[in-house]
Amino acid sequence: MRKDTRFKYLIIAILVGLIMILAACNDEGTDNEGEATEGDKSLRILSNVVGGKTPEENELFVEEIERLTDIKVELVKPPADYDQKLLTAMSSGEKFDLVLLTKNLMDILVDQGVLTEISDQIAESDILSDTTVIPEKEWDLIEYEDGNYYGVFNKFEGGTMPIVRQDWMEKLNLQQPETLEDFYNVFKAFKEQDPDGNGKDDTYGLSTAGLYDIQGFLSAEGVKYKYVYNEEGERTIPIASEAAVPVLEWFAKLYEEGLLDPNFATNETSQMRELFLTDRVGMVTYWDAWVGLFNNIRLEDDPNTEFKAKGIPGAVGPEGDIILRRGDPSLWAIPVNAESPGVAKEFLEFWHSEKGNVLSTLGIEGHDYTLTDGKYELTEIGKEHSMDHGVVVPNNTNWENPIGSLPGVEEAQEIILEHATLETSTEDWPEAEKIVQNYAFKAMMGEIPAKEAVNKMHEELMDAGLIDY
Amino acid sequence: MNIFKKHMTLYLMIAPVAIYFLLFAYYPLARGLMISFQEFRIIGDNTYIGLQNYITVLSDPVFWRVLVNTLLIGGGILLIGFSFPILVAISLNEVLKVSFKKFTQMVIYLPHLFSWVIIGGIWIYLLSPDGGLVNEIIKVFGGEPIHFFTQEKYAKPLMVFTAIWKDVGFLCILYLAAIVGISPTLYEAAKIDGATRWQEIRHILIPQLYPTMKVVFLLNLLGVLKIFDQIFIMRNPTIAREVDVLMVYTYEKGILEFDMGVATAASFFVIFATLILTLIARKLLRFDEEA
Repeated sequence: MRKDTRFKYLIIAILVGLIMILAACNDEGTDNEGEATEGDKSLRILSNVVGGKTPEENELFVEEIERLTDIKVELVKPPADYDQKLLTAMSSGEKFDLVLLTKNLMDILVDQGVLTEISDQIAESDILSDTTVIPEKEWDLIEYEDGNYYGVFNKFEGGTMPIVRQDWMEKLNLQQPETLEDFYNVFKAFKEQDPDGNGKDDTYGLSTAGLYDIQGFLSAEGVKYKYVYNEEGERTIPIASEAAVPVLEWFAKLYEEGLLDPNFATNETSQMRELFLTDRVGMVTYWDAWVGLFNNIRLEDDPNTEFKAKGIPGAVGPEGDIILRRGDPSLWAIPVNAESPGVAKEFLEFWHSEKGNVLSTLGIEGHDYTLTDGKYELTEIGKEHSMDHGVVVPNNTNWENPIGSLPGVEEAQEIILEHATLETSTEDWPEAEKIVQNYAFKAMMGEIPAKEAVNKMHEELMDAGLIDY
Repeated sequence: MNIFKKHMTLYLMIAPVAIYFLLFAYYPLARGLMISFQEFRIIGDNTYIGLQNYITVLSDPVFWRVLVNTLLIGGGILLIGFSFPILVAISLNEVLKVSFKKFTQMVIYLPHLFSWVIIGGIWIYLLSPDGGLVNEIIKVFGGEPIHFFTQEKYAKPLMVFTAIWKDVGFLCILYLAAIVGISPTLYEAAKIDGATRWQEIRHILIPQLYPTMKVVFLLNLLGVLKIFDQIFIMRNPTIAREVDVLMVYTYEKGILEFDMGVATAASFFVIFATLILTLIARKLLRFDEEA
């Protein structure tokens, strides 16, 4: 072998060896960087919705937490793709004392042993164990099979519902719909009777953002969109059953007659909201809190506006029940590698105290609101932020918003509390949802008969082992 | 070691780049290969599970469906996207009015400068059934609006069309540059021999473009299995089955489901397949030989 060839092989061997050594390096090594010194309370938080609305306001938000708690805080707030950032950060060994997450993600992290079990800390805390602060029924939503808890609520989680232009309803003398036929008539009136009075045929009855969220209409046949379990513990997805056929046929009729926004299948929620706020559509399906936000946005834009959004219950089912969807709980959790779990618990107690409730809703004193002689008043910035800094309604039942709630919100929340149930979402749901969406859209857009769609949906879900019956 | 000492300066100069690639390309690659043999955990030790992740990928019907989609969409982009710019470049070369030629070049080149977010937005808006230009034209002629982005029959052709639309200007400029470089003496000799314009194109221009064609084909081929941005931006649940490609599958497994073992195994299939495709293409094209 020639000398230079041998040298070439030597270099390659060294490089390969170096790569393999680097690759084999375990990143679980002891990393003391950022460790809190004794007596110095600090907290590193990863959050998406909690915080300021802009990076600048985020800094003010952190200063406000520090002023109110004496805890030094670093608040990491990724602008997008939050769940991915959280998982990537955790797997790369980054350390947070508190992370904000949904119940679905918490299930994955609990399964992988990433989160600290905090049942004892909750029981020992006067604030967190107070059932007037966090009602017992709420705790039931996040209790694991072993009776343990791994998270504490961030806020009271609302639900989704049909939201209608009540001013259009009144203008066209329409009654609140209860059956699918009633809803059809309302949509037809919105489409054909020029409710915005601009003389153009440019309004739709209903818009949605894909199948998010049609539960209020599936309610007409007592059908749920996601997984349900029977008494034997077997699971199915009711939309993939014959019972869903009339609802899918009803959607196909809306689509064919132009009562349903033709872009419903490809809409993002922002596009759906835009249509509602710009007088293009009379009904959308969205969060209860958005009833108030819709009204507030239009009121801020024009104090004399006639715009009036109202949350209404979905279609009444065969047993007289209405099924709406409750949102996945939004939770704070403490990772097992947190450096200051005790301080994290202290923060959670603050978060559910009156001061925490004010910060998480109204925002920052002197920035979002002013407090004069015990009287709260929103600033112009505060009005723009619609009393939402990560929490619209706190869990704390003892707390009353000193400003009052946004127009229409309380009525909408009452409907949600009465009719909404939490979705059962399993690890398999993302796979199952693709099959559900594929056939549901085809049926709703009239490409295949609804009956054929649910049969194929059911067959494919069974074949993939995603449902049991 | 003499040779090392002799070229010490060169090795030192190349060292920063070599270290960069080592740390940011080859190290992640090696780490990814290891993960593809492990059961990935977010915190804690990963356990080696042999070929299980590869078996999971190969036994997943979704993987095979996205592979077919990738080959059809990627193949369409490769074949039409390779030949269409040649046609445009030859046509533009025949245009005598320089201002028109330059204007056309600029117009068709512009889309290449935009990201897929912009291009996707433009086409989603243009083809929208609610006020989109194309459907407004269809309505003027008495037709019914078509929701292009929700109908499966349009899904793949749309992806191929928009990919070609975006890059035709760029590839066309590569060919035009090669056309400009053709020695005028070849044309003069052909004219003396009485060749027609078509014969000049057929026997001089096109053969002279072969080296550029080889490079363009090979570059496009390298990208066939890596299509992602376009599909990620333009897909929606109604056409996902028709347009989801290998990299979307990898993204969903790795980023959305955080199943890193399966995601890296799928990625290595893409890497090996690209490697094999490239080697075959190089052999067939006789890439290293003079045209």
